[in-house]
Amino acid sequence: MINQDIINIKEERLGIKKASDFLHISADTLRRLDRSGLLKAVRSQARGHRFYYRKDLESYLFNNLSAYTEKWVTAKHPFLPYQSIFCQDSSVFQGRLYRVLSDLDNNLGPSNNWSILVSVVGEIGDNTFGHNLGNFPDVAGLLFAYNLNKRLIVLADRGRGILETLRKVRPGIKDDAEALKVAFTEIISGRAPENRGNGLKWVRQNFERLPWGLTFRSGSAELLINKKDKRMLIRKNAKSFHGCLAIINF
Amino acid sequence: MVLKIAKFGAILVSRQLGKEALAAFNSDYKNLGNEIIEVDFENLEVLAPSWADEFFTPLQKELGKQLRIRDNGNDSVTGTLRLLEETNKIKFNFITKS
Repeated sequence: MINQDIINIKEERLGIKKASDFLHISADTLRRLDRSGLLKAVRSQARGHRFYYRKDLESYLFNNLSAYTEKWVTAKHPFLPYQSIFCQDSSVFQGRLYRVLSDLDNNLGPSNNWSILVSVVGEIGDNTFGHNLGNFPDVAGLLFAYNLNKRLIVLADRGRGILETLRKVRPGIKDDAEALKVAFTEIISGRAPENRGNGLKWVRQNFERLPWGLTFRSGSAELLINKKDKRMLIRKNAKSFHGCLAIINF
Repeated sequence: MVLKIAKFGAILVSRQLGKEALAAFNSDYKNLGNEIIEVDFENLEVLAPSWADEFFTPLQKELGKQLRIRDNGNDSVTGTLRLLEETNKIKFNFITKS
C-alpha cells in the first residue's frame, strides 16, 4: 500500500506553476528547458498546457543540486527547500546519515573511506544545529542532499554563518575570510563558554589527505580544497549570504 | 568491563548526543573502582570528533590508563581519537583486540 502511494506521488503531474514553485525557477525557464529537451514537459493535447511528472522534476533537481542549493541558501526571500532534502532538526539529519552510508555502500561498493566521509558530513551538519539552535535568522534547518552518480554531497544552512558565530569567542576577527581560516585551522568553538571545537579541522585534515574536493562558503568568503593538488585557498566571493554552504566532490 | 560503544548507535557524530551518552554511562563507570574499561568499537560504523570529544575526552581525563581502546581498524575511529589526542593533549591507551 505504501509503495503504491509512493508510485502514485512520483507519477503525479504538476502544472507549470507548481513545477515552477517546486524547482524555484520561472515558468519561462521551464518552457526554455522543455524546448531544449533538458526537462521535458508532457501535454494533454498537441498544443495543450504543459505538465511535469514529479519524478522528472526530482530528477532535474538532483542533477542540478549545487545550483538549487546555492539558490536556496542565497535567496533574498527565504523559502522552504524540497522536503526530502531538508532536515528541520538534528534528529532528522542523524537519520539521513544512516541512509547516506547505506546508499554509499550499496551504490558505490564498500570502502574504508565512507566512514570518514560520513564523519566529515556529520561534523559539517552538526555545526548547523550546534551553532544556530534557536538563532536561525529565517529558515531553521539544514539542506542535506547527495547525488552519488555525480559523487556530490551538498549541505547548506541559512544560519548565522562562521564569522558571527566565531566573533562570540574571538571578537577581533575582522572578516569572513579570516573567520573561515580560523574555523578550519585552529581549535576553537563558537559556543561560549566552551573553549574547544575541532570539527572543521577534522574536515580539512581529511580533505587534504583523501582524493576529495571541498568548497565551503560563508558570508562573503569561500574556502576551496582542490581535489588534485590539495591546496587550501580562501578568497572573497561576490555573492554574500548569512549562512553556510558546503559542496563536497568525492 | 567491556564497553560496546555501538550500543549508543552505529553513527556517532553529534556533540549533544555525545554528552547524553556520557551521562547515561556515568552511573556505570562511577561504580567500577579500579576495574579496567575496554572500549570495543565492533559494529560502530562512524565516529566523529564532536561526539567523541564529549564522551572520550572526559573519560580519558578521569580514568587515565584504566581506559583502554580496542583498535578495530575503522578509519573514522582511529582518526578521530588521534585528533582528540592532538587537540586536547591527552593520550589514549590503544590495545590490539584480544
